[in-house]
Order: sequence, then C-alpha cells, then structure tokens
Amino acid sequence: MTDVEYADLRCESCGEVADHELRYAGRLLESTRCTNCGHHIVLTQRSLVPAYVRDLEQRMVSKPGRMLRRAARDPLGYARQLPGAVLRQPGKFWREFRELFR
Amino acid sequence: MLAAGEGRRTGHHTNKVLLPLAGRRVFTWSIRWARLLPYVERTLLVIREDDRDAVRATLAREVDGTPIDLVVGGDSRHASEWHALQALEPAINAGEVDVVVIHDAARPLAGTQLFEDVIAAAAEHGGAIPVRDQGNLVGRNGETPPGDRVVAVQTPQAFLAAPLLAAYRQAAADGFVGTDTASCMERYTDLPVRCVPGDAGNVKITFPDDLFLAERLLAKADYDLSGGRERHRRRAHLRDVLPTARRR
Repeated sequence: MTDVEYADLRCESCGEVADHELRYAGRLLESTRCTNCGHHIVLTQRSLVPAYVRDLEQRMVSKPGRMLRRAARDPLGYARQLPGAVLRQPGKFWREFRELFR
Repeated sequence: MLAAGEGRRTGHHTNKVLLPLAGRRVFTWSIRWARLLPYVERTLLVIREDDRDAVRATLAREVDGTPIDLVVGGDSRHASEWHALQALEPAINAGEVDVVVIHDAARPLAGTQLFEDVIAAAAEHGGAIPVRDQGNLVGRNGETPPGDRVVAVQTPQAFLAAPLLAAYRQAAADGFVGTDTASCMERYTDLPVRCVPGDAGNVKITFPDDLFLAERLLAKADYDLSGGRERHRRRAHLRDVLPTARRR
C-alpha cells in the first residue's frame, strides 16, 4: 500500500466535498489534510504508537494465513514475487517507523 | 453493493471505497461479512468505469470464493440500483433470487448479523431497513422535529426481489428517482418496509474522522464482525499463536 492516498471526503471545517491527502503509517491512518481549506487532522504520537503496536501484532499473527491464501491463488506468481517481497521488508518497516516517530 | 460514489469525476482522487482500512480496502470488509451467510449466493458490485482495474485487482487480492459481478453505475444512487437490478433481472425472473440486499460500500462495518437481520425481515415482510433512533433532535428554531419518532436510516437494506424489480421498472417508466431503495419500494408497492435495529458502529465513511473511527472500531472487534461465523478460529493476538504467551 502506498503511504499517501487522495480521496473525496467531506471536510468538517469548510463543509466541502474535496480531495483530502491521507498519510498512513503502516496500515494506520496517521493524518488527513483538506486540499480545499488546509484543515489538518493528525494523530498524536501518544495515540498512534499503541494503535500501531496492536495493528503490527495483528499483521504478524495473520501473515501466515495471508501468505498461504496468496500462494494457493497463484503459486507460480507467488514464488516469483516472494524473494523481492522479503528483500523489501526492512525498507518498508524503516519507512513505517520513521513516519511513526518523526 | 454500491461502490460507484457520488459522480464527481474531477481531481486525482481515489474513490473513498478504495481507500486502505486496516489492511484491506474499504469496500471488501462488508463483502467479507455478508458472504459468510450461506444463502448469500451472488454478489454484484456497482462501480465507476474508471475504477474497474483497481476494483478487479483488489477483488483478486482480498476476496475469495464465488466471483463477484461488476456493473457500471449511473449518475445517481437510484440509477446505480436500477443498473444492478437489470443485471439481476434474468436470475430474478427465473426465481433464483428471493431477496435483494442493497448496501453502501462506504459502510465497511456492517457485520454479518445485520445482514442476517435485514434478510430475514425482508423475506418475512417484503422489505427491511436498519435504523437508529435520533431521539434528541431539535428543530432549527427550537421546534420539535416532525413525527414522534425520528430515525437515521442505514444500509444494508433488503427487499423481496420480484416486487423490487417491478417497482424500479415502473419508476424508470415514470421517470421517478428515489432518494433510497425504500422510497421507491414504498411508492410502487404495498409491501411493508420494516425497521430493524441498526448498529451504532455501522459508520458511513463521509468525513476524514470516520476513517480514524472505523480503524479503531475494527481493532476493538479484533477485526472480526462475523459474529463467530468465520470458518476458522480467528487469531488476532500473539497469545493465540505463542504457547508461552498463552500460559501467562
């Protein structure tokens, strides 16, 4: 998943349906910004870190099942992509931690 | 399942139902909960043409089981529903579909029990919608709101298939555009539409805050809104998989 997404949401500040920039730390939404009025909502580190730890736990626990389902769906494609996916993990977690503790 | 959005076609935005939410995309959460019911045999997703590739890729990644049919939506909610019903028409006419459930894909936290409740009520009475009482409303000038009971209506909404199709066919002939499915059903049929208790957690992703809330509600439920119907035992904590952690 990308770290930044854009989506039409209704802004609570300006009341318009406008593009919002959404930033994620791992799977968790960390902040949103209305591109119309600039209204910014950001989770504090104090709130985000426990939620991230809980989410990370769920990711770890559900990983074997997710890997099995993916392998069952497309064994060859999965085998081809696995080495690259493993190599990308350290960088992915580095970016997540950096986003979390910046 | 309605995932075509509200029709804005400008900007570089993602359709909100395609946003990430706790490891999946918003729209696949409620597909997962609905399809746990054994009698939910067919799923039809109403999309924007622009989203077709993204939706297909997401379905391949996140949704197992019977393939999901894709239908391109119209300019309004009513038009999208009509497109979906037209796609279902052969199956409804053949008697293969008893009840049609219409759900807003921007409500990812509609659990299996809510789908079961509306389907059961629709099969018995003709139509069913989930509602939440809004008892504390006051009018703008201090007057009381109309009627003695004001409710907020949610989805999923369920209706007997044949009367629903007939109602939408008649609406198309009359040029009537309903605000929601129940309004069209009430206008063109005599079947009662029953209210079933909605769920306070069944939030619709509208404001940015709704995404934060949905994440937290899913975590609080251990990412399981199946009401115990998932085939395998869900593992949401390390203590479920580590024997040493379980002993403590």
